[in-house]
Amino acid sequence: MAFIKKQQSSTETEDERQAPRDFEGLCEELNHADSQVRRWAVRDLVEMPNASSVLVDRLEHENNVSVRTGILNALAQLRDTVSLNGLIECLRSEDAALRNESIEILKELPDEVGAILENLLKDSDSDVRIFAVNILESLRHENVEKWLISVIEKDSHVNVCSTALDLLSEVGSEQAIPAIKKLKVRFPDEPYVCFSADLALKRIEEGSQ
Amino acid sequence: MKHILVIDDAATVRLYHRNILETAGYSVDEAINGIEALEKALVTSYDLYIVDVNMPKLDGYGFLKEFRRQEDVLQSPAIMVTTEAGNQDKILGYVSGANLYMTKPTKPNQLLSYVRLLLGEVA
Repeated sequence: MAFIKKQQSSTETEDERQAPRDFEGLCEELNHADSQVRRWAVRDLVEMPNASSVLVDRLEHENNVSVRTGILNALAQLRDTVSLNGLIECLRSEDAALRNESIEILKELPDEVGAILENLLKDSDSDVRIFAVNILESLRHENVEKWLISVIEKDSHVNVCSTALDLLSEVGSEQAIPAIKKLKVRFPDEPYVCFSADLALKRIEEGSQ
Repeated sequence: MKHILVIDDAATVRLYHRNILETAGYSVDEAINGIEALEKALVTSYDLYIVDVNMPKLDGYGFLKEFRRQEDVLQSPAIMVTTEAGNQDKILGYVSGANLYMTKPTKPNQLLSYVRLLLGEVA
């Protein structure tokens, strides 16, 4: 059975802007019943100062996937503190799709995320710490390996360490070896940690030859 | 030989589960996200699915919901395997169509006992 791709309707490609494009008008349209109107409002709000907070507020209630994606992309474009905090807050959402979308967006913001990553890796919620490690996966930042080593040395949660170890297996160098060996000692009764650590050590040692 | 699809974006997790399952005599395929899993599930009849939650493009909940909507496809059982241990996460897993829910990190004996249970291999 093949997937049936939804046909793109003409309205999705046409400029449907109707109301005045001032800040107040756009904020009103952001709550419009028609998702197409909301999508255009998001696009136009990106150009306006102070748009971040209204977009973050809307994100909490937005159920339409494409409008939500538009808001997340707009926040990535704005890149101010409010936008970044809004994207980070998505990591705490019960909605897995929203969490994963925000992780993908945050991976593309190495400078902004780099500045707050150490705090995220110390978050009291282990799930948020796991998502922070997920962000490191393709974050182009010079400290990625250092952060991952720190996680497997210090974090007490086995799944946070396992997630960091998975990534070290791909990006780790010889300097990660002592921390990986110590992790096996910290979690001797966890078969996955031992398996993953052995794999990481093998890959790093093979890569250095 | 029973055929199992392991769905997880982490290569190490896929390899770990593959090793456990193949050692126990099962045949294993892999998918790196929910979209790839759906594509495979629609052309191959797997006997069981082992599904991670957090994956890019389509997460485990999304995969199961979409998969369970496919009336023409054999509706095999699924084990959701995730780092999230909260009750709400488990409920979401079952609502989405999971038959069992396991919290990572999995242990080989536990995983195999769940697999055998869902495949009707328990004596």
